[in-house]
Amino acid sequence: MERRDFLKYSAGSLAALVVGSEMPWLMESNAYAAFQTPTLNFTITDAMKEMVTHNPFNDARCYFWIYKSNTPNLLPECPGPTIFTTEGDIVTITLTNNLDEPHSLYIPGIFSSGPIAPLATKTFRFRALRAGTYLYYDNLNAPVNRVMGLHGCMIVMPRATHPGHKFTPYAAPSPAVQKLFDDFGTSAHFPGLSWEQGDPATDTPAFRQYVWLCHQASPILFAEVGNFTAGLDYPAAQFANLFNNDPYVDTFNTGIMNRKPHFFTISGQSGHFAHNNPFLCPNNRVGEPVIIRVLNAGLQAHSMHIHANHVFTTSINGVVQENPLWVDTMTLYPLDVWDWTVPYIRPPDIPNIRGIGKADTPLTSITNPGIPGSVPHPVWPPTEELNTFLPPVGTLSGGLTGIDISCQLSPMCYPMHDHSEHSQGAQGGNYNCGLISGINFTGDRNTAGGVTTFPNVPTVHGPDGTGPAAG
Amino acid sequence: MSVASPAHIIPRRSVVGEEGEWCKMFDPPTASPATCELVAPTNPVPAFVAATVPGATNTIPFTIRRGLMKTTRIDMWDGNRVDFFTFDDPDIASTNGGVWPAPTIRMVRGSIFHCQVAAGGPPPHTIHWHGQEPTPMNDGVGHCSMEIGSYTYQLQPNFIGSYFYHCHRNTMQHFEFGLYGFTIVEPPDAYAQQNPALPNYAGGYPRRTAANLINFPQFPGYVPGDPVHGVAGPGGLNGLPGQPALDPHAYTVPYDVEALWVLDDRDSVWAANMKNARATFPAHGLVQPGVDDQFFKGDFHDFNPDYFFVTGVPFPGPVGSTVPCASNVVVPAELNSGVVGMQVPVNALRNQTILIRVLCAAYVFIRVTFPVDVVVIAYDGRALGVPPFNQYNHAFLVPAGTPMDLSTARRFDVLMRSSSTVSSFASVQFRHNRNNALLFTGQIPINIA
Ligand SMILES: [Cu+2]
Ligand SMILES: [Cu+2]
Repeated sequence: MERRDFLKYSAGSLAALVVGSEMPWLMESNAYAAFQTPTLNFTITDAMKEMVTHNPFNDARCYFWIYKSNTPNLLPECPGPTIFTTEGDIVTITLTNNLDEPHSLYIPGIFSSGPIAPLATKTFRFRALRAGTYLYYDNLNAPVNRVMGLHGCMIVMPRATHPGHKFTPYAAPSPAVQKLFDDFGTSAHFPGLSWEQGDPATDTPAFRQYVWLCHQASPILFAEVGNFTAGLDYPAAQFANLFNNDPYVDTFNTGIMNRKPHFFTISGQSGHFAHNNPFLCPNNRVGEPVIIRVLNAGLQAHSMHIHANHVFTTSINGVVQENPLWVDTMTLYPLDVWDWTVPYIRPPDIPNIRGIGKADTPLTSITNPGIPGSVPHPVWPPTEELNTFLPPVGTLSGGLTGIDISCQLSPMCYPMHDHSEHSQGAQGGNYNCGLISGINFTGDRNTAGGVTTFPNVPTVHGPDGTGPAAG
Repeated sequence: MSVASPAHIIPRRSVVGEEGEWCKMFDPPTASPATCELVAPTNPVPAFVAATVPGATNTIPFTIRRGLMKTTRIDMWDGNRVDFFTFDDPDIASTNGGVWPAPTIRMVRGSIFHCQVAAGGPPPHTIHWHGQEPTPMNDGVGHCSMEIGSYTYQLQPNFIGSYFYHCHRNTMQHFEFGLYGFTIVEPPDAYAQQNPALPNYAGGYPRRTAANLINFPQFPGYVPGDPVHGVAGPGGLNGLPGQPALDPHAYTVPYDVEALWVLDDRDSVWAANMKNARATFPAHGLVQPGVDDQFFKGDFHDFNPDYFFVTGVPFPGPVGSTVPCASNVVVPAELNSGVVGMQVPVNALRNQTILIRVLCAAYVFIRVTFPVDVVVIAYDGRALGVPPFNQYNHAFLVPAGTPMDLSTARRFDVLMRSSSTVSSFASVQFRHNRNNALLFTGQIPINIA
């Protein structure tokens, strides 16, 4: 991607601001829209956002308060930009408050700006004390200002490894987590790359990582806050109560929405826009382990379920786990910040010789007369499936005038979604508008003869264009 | 600054170039493809069921079957009638018309599992094998592969433990309305002994499950394994000189009593307002997908449960109450892959090893408190401490009275064993995921005589 193309990909949290020490692995990779910047410069402002179902026939907008980056000048988005820095670095941040009440920026354990008066600009310095994942947010009039959209993710990378060990995302990993990261790329059960290891020949960045910053948005309540008497804080207890407990109304038959959340987002995106977005959905090969940093800026809990690989919960709320569970689902409470470490092993229930979860020799298929040209072959990589198009090529949406909606089953597509499924329900079903992302398998580093890459691996591509609906 | 004149507009993202994926995610056309990378099935369970359960058949060798969806109206404790979406098993006559929860599927590690699924009634549907990890077509997520139609799902269970299966079409409705059942992966030889007169009979107890109990000697019969390689030493399938072979019992422990606790909730307002299986389903644009899509203002994001269950057994009481379920419920063999005697409430003897499998199938969260000490041996179908992949964690003791929280779709397995009598309850609090408010407390009897 050309550097000048970065701007259009770089809205809000999908952009990475690198401040302090340089991170060449991040800057060189197409998987991130990354900007090196000497200082952070945010304006606290507001925006009207067109949500996942907004189109000329369906008004679906929500008012937010946002942190907007001025230098570099990033497009407005909620949440704010993802900040990358390095343990021990000094970060300079300038904050301008363009809203009508005092606002702040707070990073638990690291920084607190205190109130910044309306129209005031202040500059601060803080030291990124400890490697890990952080939610930065406005902690005034809690939880109103945070939930209105004033939040984002900050990642502090460790400066160095512990002698004789590989990098983990942590300053002081537990023995179990250190062993896990030491084993990636080295042990018999985790063949491939270490987490810290990239491979330019296969366009694989080092330190592969993603941010899933979850949130819930109430268009009715957020508008009430926006329209509240200028200079006065909306009552916080009333906000929290209405957000969670406003009485049920039969929206389906009346069209009237209550003050509960009606949109559920991951890093500002829902449904298709979070699932098929290469900045949010990991696209990696077997043998390329990744970190996913999962945060909740809102007031409702989610039950995050991932397909295709169980994942290690290596850190929960700043505590590197002594007993990291290997799970397919994890509870995400409000304000939770935890890390999933995805081993990116071959999906283990694909038939193999021993059937004990390892990347054994695959079994050999039998001829399936239902598949043209089917001949016996190893079931991994699954070449028949990767070459399948569903629906079949030529299937049109909307009858004869529609467009072809056929999709090739490559790369291997799996979802990650909130299993407390009511967050899939914003104005539609089947996940297209809900709290979902995914995990794609784009190949295998450990196939005979070298690295295999499946067809259609995304370069960095849309859906990044904006504009009214299809714009 | 105001809502009427915000400083910025954040435009909706575009689907240009991705119209196909956008439309497919809404409403994939029903498909009935052939199974790719087909491998001959080897699952021993359906033949055993046909041989031991009166009236059961095994129509397709080594293959189980499921039909969906049926609509089953179930009487609640207060006389209200609520619609459920249900599976049937065409090989088990008594499930005709649908049962809830769906029959428990047992499979043995390392076998090739096939499930032939036919979708009837309001289509389409899928089956997702939650926690099991095959290729996308066999993962049963419509927008990543296809909604069916009919299809033979194929996978090879590689990890012994507790799972479940559910329809992954518009899951927020189809799963809430009951389209799920439990899945148990057992050791490779769990169905090997078919003589009921002999120990380790496939249709009864004791059975074995995976665990690393190196720190918990109170559970007799535990078989350790290779501390580096797990259930197989470096000698591979058949062993090498000086290296142990694959041991089907490595890292497993026998249990005498098995209880299945699937906690669920229903919202009767959802059930009444949105019982159409396509309710609130948007239609992609006829002219320009991504531009002129028709959306409904659905109710499915405001969930307020008012009925509570364990494994289909009601907790008969209103929101806010504390109520026990029936004290003597055993899952029939025909709904449990031919195994006789799986319990819901626990009725055991002193010094028996009791395995309790817990799944939160509710959309709100649960808080489980046991009246006696338990040892947590697995989460989400992965036995703690079993190398190589789970060498980074370990089984742990949970003292009596310690609450354990689970959110939707999470599972844990615990072992319990008491040398003294117990006549008590486990308490299950249902707590809302949006404010952690206590909605209801169910009590599950635990009697150890
Ligand atoms: Cu799922
Ligand atoms: Cu369904």
